[in-house]
Amino acid sequence: MAVKEYLIPENLYYDQNDFWIKIEANSVLIGITEEGQKNTGDILYLELAPAGTVVRRGEKIGSIESGKWVGNLTAPLSGAVAESNPAVTRNPRLVNRDAYGEGWMVRLIMDNPDELGLLMGAREYEAWLDEQLKSEEGIG
Amino acid sequence: MKANWRLLDTGSLPAAHNMALDRVVLNARNSELIPNTLRYLQFSPQCVLIGYHQAVELEVEEEYCRKHGIEINRRITGGGNLYWDEGQLGWEIFALKNTPGIPRRLEDMYRLMCESVVNGLDKLGVKARFRPANDIEVQGRKISGTGGTEWGDAFLYQGTLLTDFDVDTMIKSLKLPLKKLEDKQVESFKERVVSLKEVLGYLPPLPEIKAALAQGIAEVLGVTLQPGDLTPAEKSDLERQLPLFQSDDWIRGLRVLPQENDLGVAEYKTRGGLIRASLRLDPNRQHIKSAFITGDFFAYPERSIMDMEAMLKNSSSRPEDVGRNIREFFADNQIHIPNVGAEDIIQVLCLAIAEAGERSAVS
Repeated sequence: MAVKEYLIPENLYYDQNDFWIKIEANSVLIGITEEGQKNTGDILYLELAPAGTVVRRGEKIGSIESGKWVGNLTAPLSGAVAESNPAVTRNPRLVNRDAYGEGWMVRLIMDNPDELGLLMGAREYEAWLDEQLKSEEGIG
Repeated sequence: MKANWRLLDTGSLPAAHNMALDRVVLNARNSELIPNTLRYLQFSPQCVLIGYHQAVELEVEEEYCRKHGIEINRRITGGGNLYWDEGQLGWEIFALKNTPGIPRRLEDMYRLMCESVVNGLDKLGVKARFRPANDIEVQGRKISGTGGTEWGDAFLYQGTLLTDFDVDTMIKSLKLPLKKLEDKQVESFKERVVSLKEVLGYLPPLPEIKAALAQGIAEVLGVTLQPGDLTPAEKSDLERQLPLFQSDDWIRGLRVLPQENDLGVAEYKTRGGLIRASLRLDPNRQHIKSAFITGDFFAYPERSIMDMEAMLKNSSSRPEDVGRNIREFFADNQIHIPNVGAEDIIQVLCLAIAEAGERSAVS
């Protein structure tokens, strides 16, 4: 499935901050979507919370900088960071090159699996993105 | 009906106060304690500001700053090192991301914000334009650099406006892609920026500049600006946040990410003349931090070299990416440099990148 030219894999969850969330055996893998990396632009700096950091959904788990914009990365789910990807902090452009693969950011042990219900599936995320892009008319 | 935004003029402040206020107002907007806000930013004393992820020792001539009473601080926004003297004016827009008409796509948002300032400059008789990714320029020369950040549902987008600018102090206080401060290079570097005073031949009074910017921004964003002050909640949050922004923990960034600042310089002789490239590089991140291209060739239009430098800033330093970017730049822009082609520029840039690599391998 794709919104315009962007890939949205079916087997992942998504949130409104352009994170993808992949369920694995005892943890979830988190990264930003193709749409998210494209919107951010060439990523120059990426800072991620180290293993052991406990976060609640919506709390900061890192920061990302492209050009002159610093974005905050906020946890899509509550839990403990089990691992952050050292390859992307060393070479953040990996996220631009392979957002759903080598560009993963954080592995999280979930605190509350019920929070998965707050996330979107691929079709919902696509519809939400379409709605966002359509609503950019009239300023006030 | 037009939405009411607050027009906030906090006057001249020390760097730590201004940096703390950026966070305070952004937090207040995210918490919906204040309306969308346009703030004017002025500094006293003069200061050097680095971007959120930068390292002071790689970006600032610390000894020069110390000797000349130039404060050093860190922004909450991204981008590079900046020198602010007391004559410069900054502008900042704090708004909710879902404000109707604010584009979700960052590059569209940058354009809208910059075009609102371009409209303000037009009121002063300055024909400026937006230059992607996020500069405002007059005939190829930068008059305003911009950057931003977000917190929760709110964002901050800010820019400088060079009113009457002391380029010599800027060159001495920042680490720039100048190997030696040779007169010819310094003169050429000065051509990259321009001030309001230089464009107009005089400097309008500051209140006039502020009024023009406010009018231009309000027209493009379709809003009404109502002068206002910091709220009691913002003032009390400022008191709470200020010690952090005055601390070495913040300025020196104890957790600054590993990074480098190598200088790569190369010259390449072509049939059209000598081309000299001077690049600031972060080799591990494969990142060109800034570029400065000079020589005795002639480029038409003259601005094309400055546009090329703007395109190279923050781009990849991998040779294959440099090649693609330069070829695309030549294809997309009507550039004519007699007897110098895209491949010549690629060659000198790759030589400068290799030179930096060899030097860092030796050291």
